[in-house]
Amino acid sequence: MKKETSAAFIWLQRHAAMIRKELVQLLRDKLLVFFLIYAFSMDIILAGGSISLDLKNASLWVRDLDHKVESRELMQRFQPPAFRLKGGVDNAHEIQTMMDKGEAMATLDFGPGFSENIHKGRQATTLMQVDATNSVLGTLAASHASHIVFQFSLEKAQERLAKAGAASGGTPSIRDAHRVWFNPNQRDSWFMSITELLTIITVFAVMLPATAMVREKERGTVEQLLVSPLSTWQIMLPKILSMTFVILLGTAVSLFCVIRPIFHTPIRGSLPLFFGVTALYVFTTSGLSLFISTLARNLAQVGLLTILVLAPMLFLSGAWTPPEAMPGWLRFAMVVSPLHHYIDTGFGILLKGAGMEILWDSVGMIALIGGIMLSVGAWRFRRQFH
Amino acid sequence: MNIQRIAAVMLKEWREIVRDRLFFILAFVVPASFMLLFGYGLSMDVEDIPMAVLDQDNTPLSRDYAYRFMGSRYFDFKGMTPSLKQAEPLLLDNKLRLILIIPDKFQENIIAGRTAEVQTIIDGTFPFRAQTSKGYVAAINGEANMELLAKVLAKKAGMTQEAAREAVQPVKLAVRYLYNQSCQSIWSMAPKIMMVILMITPPFLTALGIVREKETGSIYNIYASTVTRPEFLLGKLTPYAVISVLNMLILWLFAVRLFGAPFKGNVVFFSLASILYVVCTTGIGLIISVLVRTQTAAMVMTAILTIAPSVLYSGVIIPVSSMGDAAQFAASTLPATYYTEVVLGCFLKGVGWSILWSRIAILGIYAIGLFSIGYVMFSKRPSR
Repeated sequence: MKKETSAAFIWLQRHAAMIRKELVQLLRDKLLVFFLIYAFSMDIILAGGSISLDLKNASLWVRDLDHKVESRELMQRFQPPAFRLKGGVDNAHEIQTMMDKGEAMATLDFGPGFSENIHKGRQATTLMQVDATNSVLGTLAASHASHIVFQFSLEKAQERLAKAGAASGGTPSIRDAHRVWFNPNQRDSWFMSITELLTIITVFAVMLPATAMVREKERGTVEQLLVSPLSTWQIMLPKILSMTFVILLGTAVSLFCVIRPIFHTPIRGSLPLFFGVTALYVFTTSGLSLFISTLARNLAQVGLLTILVLAPMLFLSGAWTPPEAMPGWLRFAMVVSPLHHYIDTGFGILLKGAGMEILWDSVGMIALIGGIMLSVGAWRFRRQFH
Repeated sequence: MNIQRIAAVMLKEWREIVRDRLFFILAFVVPASFMLLFGYGLSMDVEDIPMAVLDQDNTPLSRDYAYRFMGSRYFDFKGMTPSLKQAEPLLLDNKLRLILIIPDKFQENIIAGRTAEVQTIIDGTFPFRAQTSKGYVAAINGEANMELLAKVLAKKAGMTQEAAREAVQPVKLAVRYLYNQSCQSIWSMAPKIMMVILMITPPFLTALGIVREKETGSIYNIYASTVTRPEFLLGKLTPYAVISVLNMLILWLFAVRLFGAPFKGNVVFFSLASILYVVCTTGIGLIISVLVRTQTAAMVMTAILTIAPSVLYSGVIIPVSSMGDAAQFAASTLPATYYTEVVLGCFLKGVGWSILWSRIAILGIYAIGLFSIGYVMFSKRPSR
């Protein structure tokens, strides 16, 4: 009995010593510490503060050959934030040059008979030319513009009906009231700051344990570890645990010092749950890092392997692009990516205030995929020493 | 400057790269696989939004209205829901993004010529998707309103349906997309992905290559040798720049052949700009390598300095003109911003020297500037 407790004590003591060694080693790399701090603070401030996927200040030029009330009234409706009416142009050639230079995002063309057509009861057309080099903004601009013109058109039609007396007794209409949940004003900063935090957590989870391990290989200190009375678990586990601890610390800093006070992003769900899931995610994703560390012999290789793994994970996670729009086979790849489930859980807890009763399946997937990654990583890790 | 010594350093570096099999393969595989992955996967289209309908009216007219959503390719109809209580958890769980609620008396109100209200609840976690969904809803609703109006007009004024439809829409907007007529996402993405990849990989390769010598200590051979600073830097960096230029060609082929993006510009102009850009990004790698001592730090620093800025600030997702002031300033300091204009100009717009000459000049200044900074900061007599 006594022997067993002392064995457990030694086991714990060895872990503690190794964790301390990893943390000291990390802290001594001043630049790495600096970038850890930068990533969890400034980087999130930058991403949350300035990125928005909305159409803003699209510069609009007008070629008005009509010069009547109607054309002027319609063009005045193209207002900020979406559009910015820049002025008038006279000839088509000038428009082309401005589009080529990127000075104009869109142009609106009113033909000579525009208002006359409206008065005579014919259909009047205005032409909009949109720069579609950025297809997202091209479609957004077109959709905004058709909404504006549609509204204008509907008002003119109602005026006309009222004049003709056809509208007596009222005209039926459907009014749509939309409510946007979880982020009522659609603040991009709420979305971007959380996305960036989850991204950075992933970057470090994949990168740190592998670099810590391969650095030992490169410097030869791994030989020291091997001749010490440590088991492979006792070499591996402290590395993962210490990095998980550092990442959780960074997460806490950015949640409480950046995301909440600066962007006023609401945290609606349970914080212990969020940190619990994050710990689980970081801990299991380290399996991927261990796997990389067994493939690479030097840090340069770690670097390339890490970006090879990270970039698809980030781009295909649904963090930056709407996941519903992906083709089928990529959607399948997404299901396998732990980041996808972590993002669902992260947004679920932080923004939506969901609890385990709703998120159990995503958390389960993180545990499952992470468990597999960790086992494979650990297996490869142990095998390389034999 | 001694050509022979430069060649010797170059050869040594090249051998080192080629002998590290995994590194050499990855130097080509990483950019190519990124291009494939992002080219196929990075779509900003908002389609197939999962939605449910809560029809409290359950009349022919309400079903007609709901059908407008179900039949749209923008929405993916998941089913009717008996109550909001049952739909809410699905919204929390990302199984639904939108719920359409049609309250009772919908049909009654319309027949009586009053305003009928409907409500949509949209998941706002991803603002861009919420915004776009709102646009779709507004368009569908507008269409429905127009048809209602046309029906009334047809009945009261005795017109045909077609004439009535035209009469209720006195003004129409015709949209023409320039440069990318069918507004294909991949046409605008493929050239920009090229820019992103060429922003990320050259600094990675370069910084790791130089810091590796520092960390393993082999740089002392250089410190002790007769090779001068410019000779060392030129010899050391050229192989990495060459790899990156080769990558640029491969990526260009992918963009044009595989993704079918049109290339309308001048090949000479584009090559010159691309080489300058690759030299710039290699220079960023040089500066990083001077600043850091360990390869870990080099990787982290490169990742932070290149990935986020190139994706977020250089106009890949949103153009510089619609950014906030701080972001616009950040964008103007990045060579990637200027190269984005060049790739878009060359691929889609077909413009060249006359409009974009200043971009080339700026890239050239950057290249010279970055290398001068790297040259000044790199010392053969390190203080520690």
